[in-house]
Amino acid sequence: MNEAERLAAFEARIHRGEKIEPGDWMPEEYRRQLIRMISQHAHSEIVGMLPEGAWITRAPNLRRKLVLLAKVQDEAGHGQYLYHAAETLGATREEMIEALLSGRAKYSSIFNYPSQSWADMGVIGWFVDGAAILNQTMLARCSYGPYSRANIRISAEESFHMKQGKEQVILMSQGTPGQRTMVQDAVNRWWWPTVMMFGPHDHESPNSPVLIRWGIKTKTNDELRQDFVNQVAPEVLELGLSLPDPDLRYEQASGNWLTGPIDWDEFWRVVKGNGPCNAERIAARRKAHADGEWVREALAAYAERQPTT
Amino acid sequence: MTDTQWPRFQVFHQEQPGRPHTNAGAVHAPDAELAIQNARDVFVRRPDCVSLWVVPADQIFSLTAEEISRSGLPPAPAAEGGLQRYLVFIKRTQVGSHEHAGAVSATSGQAALAEAVSTFGKADGLVWWVVPERLVNRTEADQIGSLFGPAKDKPYRDQAFYHTTTLMRQIRGRPKQEA
Ligand SMILES: [Fe+2]
Ligand SMILES: [Fe+2]
Repeated sequence: MNEAERLAAFEARIHRGEKIEPGDWMPEEYRRQLIRMISQHAHSEIVGMLPEGAWITRAPNLRRKLVLLAKVQDEAGHGQYLYHAAETLGATREEMIEALLSGRAKYSSIFNYPSQSWADMGVIGWFVDGAAILNQTMLARCSYGPYSRANIRISAEESFHMKQGKEQVILMSQGTPGQRTMVQDAVNRWWWPTVMMFGPHDHESPNSPVLIRWGIKTKTNDELRQDFVNQVAPEVLELGLSLPDPDLRYEQASGNWLTGPIDWDEFWRVVKGNGPCNAERIAARRKAHADGEWVREALAAYAERQPTT
Repeated sequence: MTDTQWPRFQVFHQEQPGRPHTNAGAVHAPDAELAIQNARDVFVRRPDCVSLWVVPADQIFSLTAEEISRSGLPPAPAAEGGLQRYLVFIKRTQVGSHEHAGAVSATSGQAALAEAVSTFGKADGLVWWVVPERLVNRTEADQIGSLFGPAKDKPYRDQAFYHTTTLMRQIRGRPKQEA
């Protein structure tokens, strides 16, 4: 088989719904796109611990504290599943972590916004994890076996993240005037960043066509964004809360909730490193890595004494 | 910077007694004992695990259906050593993980793969893994409580713990307040 025949056979496999596994032939570009996507996804899980981690010690009661701890711990696990999925393609964990700590690697822009009140713990769970579920449910159908399996495992765990957040927003929206004000403020701050989280419009998303062609993604950014708005907007309004979009409306003909124009200047500003918390997030990861040095040293000493099999 | 690119171990977990061990993913660790500890931390935050196996990833011999269709079955090499037992793990469905299928005896990893394919059926296998049984490290019965117990009393990790659908229904059913 020459290169063109191999590529045709590969695309036919994807077309038949087969999963590509380590050891199978794949185009270099497929491997490159997957390493890029999976490592960014892993970094997002790891950096995603920070906005919520900051509130663990300020939880209003023990139940909420246990729940938040468990959720943040899950995100650490998700990061691990994904680093391991990227390793099956030849990336090394140390390269990926180095890229994150040096500030070269990208991660989801949403985590560069600050969490300012306890109500953010509710809204992040409902909006941000809700958006992540839509994305990860799609990626569970990805054509690359290890990435698909990591997303199946992640998706099974995410429902609890979304529901604990939604429960809090519901309760606060029906609570005291002070709680209602607090949760409305959190909704106002997180709505647009979450809508942007799905990435640029399809016609401005350079990687989209090849990702869809090779079954890495099965829905476009705009399709996922529409699913999110349809799912969340009507329920927020039912709670007597408002969304910070004067143009938001339901379109009878399509059955879709349509948003007003998205501020893409803000999106690119944050992606390019100038969001409210970009520097703070990287500094926090560097500090965590430095603080963990003694654990790595202890393991290195242990490994020296105990040669591996 | 300390080098922490420890060897990789593939992790297999068993959800209930009597069910086959299935692949959960991989961890890095300096040795098998710590690999089991890491595997517990990474893969067992919920109560659906009764046993873990870890195997060094670089000792796994792997063959995919796609490789067979491209290059045929690997030629049986000359005997390299004595006969030993290999555990066989097979991924049989597109959206599935490797599942423990049984064991074969062979004189090399390549021979074990060929043996596994003929013993367990080529028709419905997508990826075969074989690994010398002596390199499989398993959780011991006396570790089960300390390793898996902590995941059992955290019902709040289950989405059914939160009654958001009922809450939304109650709010919808409530008469609208005058503004
Ligand atoms: Fe996650
Ligand atoms: Fe999550």
